[in-house]
Amino acid sequence: MLLRRRDFHALAMGASATALLSRRALAASAAATAVEAAKQYSGEEITIVWEAGLQSLDPLNFSGPKWKEATGISVKVIEVATAEMFTKILQEHRAGSGAYDALNVIPAWMPDLVRAGALEPLDPFVDKYGYREELQEIAPVYRDNQMTVGGTIYGFPDDGDVFVLYYRTDVLGDPAIQAAFKAAKGYDLPVPPTTWEQFYDVASVITETTGGKPFGAGQFREAPYMQFMFQERFRNEGGRFFDPQTMKATVNGPAGLKTFQGWLAENKVMPKGVETWGFVENLAAFLQGDTAMTVSWPPYGRWAAGYGTDEAALAWVPRSQIAGKVGYAMPPGGHPQLAAGFSLCVSSSSKKKEAAYLFIQWLNSQEVSLQRVQLPFALRDPFRDSHFASEEYRNRWPEAPQYLAALQAGAVNGLLDLSLIQTDRYEEALRQGISKLWAGGDPQGILDEIAAQWDSITERIGVDKQRAAYEEWASKPNAYPA
Amino acid sequence: MAVTSAPRVEVAHAPPRSRGVGDRGFRYAMIAPAVVVILLIGLFPLVYTLIVSAQNITMMEEDTSFHGLMHYRALLADTRFWQAVLHTLLFLVIALPAQLVLGLLLALLFLERMPGKQVFVALLVLPVVTSPIIAGALWRLLFDNRFGPINQILSWLVGGEVTILWTVNPGFVYPAILIAEIWQWTPFMFLLLLAALASVDQSLTEAAKLDGAGFWTTFFRVTLPIIKPVVWIALLIRGLDLFRLFDVVWGLTQGGPGTMTETVSIYAYVLAFKQFETSYAAALAVVIIVLLSAAVMWALRRVEIAR
Repeated sequence: MLLRRRDFHALAMGASATALLSRRALAASAAATAVEAAKQYSGEEITIVWEAGLQSLDPLNFSGPKWKEATGISVKVIEVATAEMFTKILQEHRAGSGAYDALNVIPAWMPDLVRAGALEPLDPFVDKYGYREELQEIAPVYRDNQMTVGGTIYGFPDDGDVFVLYYRTDVLGDPAIQAAFKAAKGYDLPVPPTTWEQFYDVASVITETTGGKPFGAGQFREAPYMQFMFQERFRNEGGRFFDPQTMKATVNGPAGLKTFQGWLAENKVMPKGVETWGFVENLAAFLQGDTAMTVSWPPYGRWAAGYGTDEAALAWVPRSQIAGKVGYAMPPGGHPQLAAGFSLCVSSSSKKKEAAYLFIQWLNSQEVSLQRVQLPFALRDPFRDSHFASEEYRNRWPEAPQYLAALQAGAVNGLLDLSLIQTDRYEEALRQGISKLWAGGDPQGILDEIAAQWDSITERIGVDKQRAAYEEWASKPNAYPA
Repeated sequence: MAVTSAPRVEVAHAPPRSRGVGDRGFRYAMIAPAVVVILLIGLFPLVYTLIVSAQNITMMEEDTSFHGLMHYRALLADTRFWQAVLHTLLFLVIALPAQLVLGLLLALLFLERMPGKQVFVALLVLPVVTSPIIAGALWRLLFDNRFGPINQILSWLVGGEVTILWTVNPGFVYPAILIAEIWQWTPFMFLLLLAALASVDQSLTEAAKLDGAGFWTTFFRVTLPIIKPVVWIALLIRGLDLFRLFDVVWGLTQGGPGTMTETVSIYAYVLAFKQFETSYAAALAVVIIVLLSAAVMWALRRVEIAR
């Protein structure tokens, strides 16, 4: 079932009605509590930093206007490109201008921002406004790993980003391809493939059998995305980032090499020039039916089903040629990367902390967040148990229950982004290494260079300080596969 | 006479001298605000950068104690910095002569009367008014393997599928950036040189022709010496711009693959705004300012245009 404009208005009205229902009915609701408390700030304006582009349409077109209608508080959205968000937030904190009240923060950055003093501790507000109970209903992997630093709450996990394997059920279920696969590989075609070796086998047989119509697989390969893919696959192959005793980087071990060599082999059965593909190129290829498998974030699954793509904001998304023919599963290895995501935070330099807090409590609350994760254009993905179980969501398109089941599985098995002191410096070394790999560099040589750079960064930051940060991160249940 | 005339002269000159002092004071008072503003805008950041470069301010620490030349020593041993300098110089030594020669040829072409000349000139100038970061994004699209027209056109020309990964393949990243850079800034050279050529006294070139000089002899012996100061200024402006090269490279490759096309400006940006190595980036900025100032002074003296 496609989401049309009238459905969108129904969604908006639903959220509004939810917030404005009788006081009695919503006495215990975090959303209603936030609305009631925020009315004392009616007429004021708060600012919130949000990722530029589609993400910002949530506060611009939906939640911002609804919040103003309910409380009289205006929301000014400051759109910032993802790559610049950390820089802007830290610069503003250093300047102490109070220009930002609420923030969207990638959870892996939270420790750095907390150490810099840029984030406000939220526990006093959580207790004051009775939000602790609803926070417990956030899926454990997000709640336990993307909310606190050193035991203190600094952000509310608000986006269930996780990698999902999307595959064409008609192609992988084609008897001719299955027969060719059995003949070539000597075992039944696995639907879906559960290891990277199977993924390669399936992709290569499809490409050979169909002559590239479609190709067996496609993938975004641009380095900023691939550093997430590296983190995922490296750990699924048994890799560990550091020696916990010496803090020497161990990314150049067998797991790293296997990851790089696997990618190079897969590129040969993917469309030519895949090394330059970003999010959009890969999306276009999959939605147009040019590739049979890919791994990406949750919006691919919604758009592949045609959900909401008649919205003007999604006019750039190619019309799906594969609706009803897509399966959803965990990526090979079984432990997907919880790549990026967002937590809602309050800036420590804000002069309107309470109003900002109340806005993010309302956004993140069970009722309002359920509406927000169903906005087809806003890129927020389900992150609460109630989202995965929502009958409303499960009826959005025929395969939505399988889609939500895959996301829920990801929320159990997902792997956290590496989060250390100055994580981005380590990620930058990875990004550079991956771009060298696509330029034809020697995989082992590149991995050795990355490891040397990581060691140099660790020494610059301080081995003991970084060891403590790594130990805290590595002790989390989703840092490495169980 | 002498006794009587001397005081008369003194009396006669006294009022103007006091007026001169007053005028001078008035003039200083008038320019003082501008001088203060210029000092604040120009000198203060320089001094502040110098001070910060001797501290140790990073993302996590605001250590403002004096650390001497620590960062300068580290910079000397920083291979990534020297590679960035090398990449920058490589862009400079290829793009600058190319822009000069192409700009000069275009200027010579457009010196003659031709139909629709103004329209062509306006079209030629379009790249200059395009923001460099937009130009980078534009060329990235043009070079894109899946959606870009360049590989498509090359495929038509060779009669088979051409898959050149312009922003990935080490053999093509420099040509890609240079094509974009030369496309954007050759018209700037063209405009300056066209104006210079148009101001050359035609009687001199006609006299040379009457004496039997050919086109190139006239150009090299008569025209070029006359427009030489403009050529040097154009080279200086573009040379300095190329040393600051950032946008086009950022738009196309972000300094990659790896750091293969990373320029000094990109490295400084990464240090200051990605890694928050504030003091180290300040040291880098000081070194670049010193190097560039020395180069500019040398160039100005060399071509004697400072006078």
